[in-house]
Amino acid sequence: MSCGKPHETDCHQVLAELWLFLDHECNRERRELLQRHLDECGPCLEEYGLEEHLKALLARKCGGDHAPDALKQRLRDSIRQIMMRQAVLGAEVTVQRAEDGTIVEVSTTTVESHAWLSTER
Amino acid sequence: MGVVGVTSTDSAEPARSGQLESSPEGTVVDQNETPEQRTARFERDAMPLLDQLYAAALRMTRNPADAEDLVQETYLRAYGAFESFRAGTNLRAWLYRILTNTYINGYRKRQRQPVAQPSEEITDWQLAQAAQHTSSGLRSAEMDALDRLPDSDVKDALSQLAEDFRMAVYLADVEGFAYKEIAEIMGTPIGTVMSRLHRGRKQLRDMLTGVARERGFLRDAEVAS
Repeated sequence: MSCGKPHETDCHQVLAELWLFLDHECNRERRELLQRHLDECGPCLEEYGLEEHLKALLARKCGGDHAPDALKQRLRDSIRQIMMRQAVLGAEVTVQRAEDGTIVEVSTTTVESHAWLSTER
Repeated sequence: MGVVGVTSTDSAEPARSGQLESSPEGTVVDQNETPEQRTARFERDAMPLLDQLYAAALRMTRNPADAEDLVQETYLRAYGAFESFRAGTNLRAWLYRILTNTYINGYRKRQRQPVAQPSEEITDWQLAQAAQHTSSGLRSAEMDALDRLPDSDVKDALSQLAEDFRMAVYLADVEGFAYKEIAEIMGTPIGTVMSRLHRGRKQLRDMLTGVARERGFLRDAEVAS
């Protein structure tokens, strides 16, 4: 359905591309053309307004969940454990032969704790 | 939202089928990076995105316990593959890609709920059907009605969309990913992303308008169809 007024671009075509426009997925030339149409066509602008509104509504209402603290802690612990295993595997092992036997020296890397947790909400 | 600069990457790690290959291109990551340094880098860059990934997992699994398991598995896999993650590429998209693949390859199979497999094709006819505006001037009534819906109604409606539609809509509208990024995350061509978005949004709007009417926020006469 057209609004009945003559436009450079047909309402049909504009409405078919409304989401591309809304999602910033069309090139500049196309964007300007669609913008011109929306500026002069009330019904198309209204339709655009509703879709834009719906997109904003979803963003507002469907995001923002927070992961449980227990999950964060569990993950941090697991990652630390994996890292320590890697650190031990990669530790330097030196073998020295002394007169009274064999001395095996294992120098492991120091594991320091990081402070990222304290900045968490 | 809007955490790291969303520079699109041509090579979000191909985590599909459970394999994370290292990038053939020169990795920026220091070859001599110790596990401690890598862990610190992971904690600094990836861990702050946990809430976002959890929210997405919640939309995927529709259940907090499953979402926790999914996120945990995702993060451990990401940590394991972090050595091959190229600094400067889009970490957020990389993590979402692993999340999606972990879900599709392992998780979804264990869920009881059968997965609806909608046809991906969208025809010109369908586009034309959608491309009609009513000049009824009732849009503002519809907008007001939608605004009055509680969060739970909107989340419920989203959760009722078929999985592929739901993820496309979520990634575009809640997370603000570009089509190209969504295509990489979901492992589909951009055309498929557009079709999923198109149909998902249309269904969602119809559903929400229906709920608004049930709640009495919108009178029948005000529903432009």
